[in-house]
Amino acid sequence: MEIFLYIIVPILIVAALAAIFAFCLSYLGDKFAVERDPRIDDIERNLAGANCGGCGYAGCSQFAEALFKGEAEIGRCNPTSSENKQNIAKILGMSDVKSEATVAVVHCAGGNRAADKYDYQGFGDCQSAQILAGGSKACEYGCMGLCTCVHSCGFDSIAICKDTGASKVDRDKCKSCGACVAACPKKIIGRIPKSARVYIACSNTTKGKEVASVCKVGCIACGKCEKTCPKGAISLSNNLAAIDYEKCIGCMKCATECPRHCILPIGDGIAMFDKIMAVKQKQKEKAAAEAAAAKNS
Amino acid sequence: MEYFIGVVSIVISGILTNNIVLNQSLGICPFLGVSKKTQSAVGMGLAVTFVITIASCVCWLLYTYVLDMLSIGYLSTIVFILVIASLVQLLDIVLKKLSPSLYSSLGVYLALITTNCAVLGTANSVISQGLDFFQTLMTGVSIGLGFTVALILMAGIREKQALYDIPRPFAGFPIALVTAGIMSMAFYGFSGLSFA
Repeated sequence: MEIFLYIIVPILIVAALAAIFAFCLSYLGDKFAVERDPRIDDIERNLAGANCGGCGYAGCSQFAEALFKGEAEIGRCNPTSSENKQNIAKILGMSDVKSEATVAVVHCAGGNRAADKYDYQGFGDCQSAQILAGGSKACEYGCMGLCTCVHSCGFDSIAICKDTGASKVDRDKCKSCGACVAACPKKIIGRIPKSARVYIACSNTTKGKEVASVCKVGCIACGKCEKTCPKGAISLSNNLAAIDYEKCIGCMKCATECPRHCILPIGDGIAMFDKIMAVKQKQKEKAAAEAAAAKNS
Repeated sequence: MEYFIGVVSIVISGILTNNIVLNQSLGICPFLGVSKKTQSAVGMGLAVTFVITIASCVCWLLYTYVLDMLSIGYLSTIVFILVIASLVQLLDIVLKKLSPSLYSSLGVYLALITTNCAVLGTANSVISQGLDFFQTLMTGVSIGLGFTVALILMAGIREKQALYDIPRPFAGFPIALVTAGIMSMAFYGFSGLSFA
């Protein structure tokens, strides 16, 4: 009986109070329910749901609401696939959307091949190294490989490449939210169209001679790519080559011709690049053999 | 008459001499979190005032007529938290319907009133002081107003501060904490006020 009084009764009372509150809340929840246009939910369902904040809104739900009100444009969302964007455009009553998927890319492939300014033994973060005499690399524009971008990525899509020692983006995982672009103290991460086949793997805007003294694979602004490009998509500015992706047809000529190997293939350009290089290698061997034969005879 | 003076002294003490934030260091989270804009500070202050008043009254009723009668006063903390959580949920539902702009400007801090120790602290102190119902009501209102006053003052200062060139190590939260400390010292000046 005592157990009943001291344990069961208090439990029952608290449970009864909780039940009363729950009943009141659910009743009021029904009475004060806020009606939301079902199209907003439809839009939200079509969004990627990454909640990355790349569009500038708190999350996909808020972005969907802004889209519905016409305050935002669907192009601001990068993770959403183009197919779903078309669906959203249909829901919003727009005919078509023009927006191309982009992907983040590190405009530096120097890493181990670029000279060090000093032996950094610090906090282990690009920001702190950047404060210390402008970074640990002799190149002011070079990736230090200290992982600030890696930590900023919410999708585990950027890592330090073991071969080069510079950071590299995993294209399949990247949602192009822009977190790494903002995090990098060197400002060498940018976004390019996902369909691009080549990118410039250097950000150094100093003169060619200075670049050559600090990095083996830096752009020296020799202008070979500019001359090679059949579409005039590459131009030199500030001692650095730049690609206009609207004009680029992905012929890979620039990548195969670059003497510094700082125009690199990316995406489906990689397979193409390897094929062309293999053919070139064969031609070279053939020419060498012919030359040797001519010499002998 | 004596009763009336007692009520006046409760009000003065809640707003000035015994300010819940600046003298008792309760409810610091919304004090620092929602004090960037005066407008949302006013909204938050009124929301907290509402919750504190209703919560302390409901808690007083529950304690006096249920818990104390059945001599299970030791359960007061659990029951009070239940009451506060339900009230905040209620406020959430009602605000969403009646004032969407205030709802979105309060954001996550509305839900955080649930864990605002100022609310539970008031409910507990009302019970431990053995006040009657009207005094409880006045305590709730005045402590809520005290919280609102502190929040608005802080927001006013921080709005000005945003324009100043603050040294980088102090920018943001450090300067806010220093400001809060100085304000709390200033509020000690009120401790001489007394109606007893």
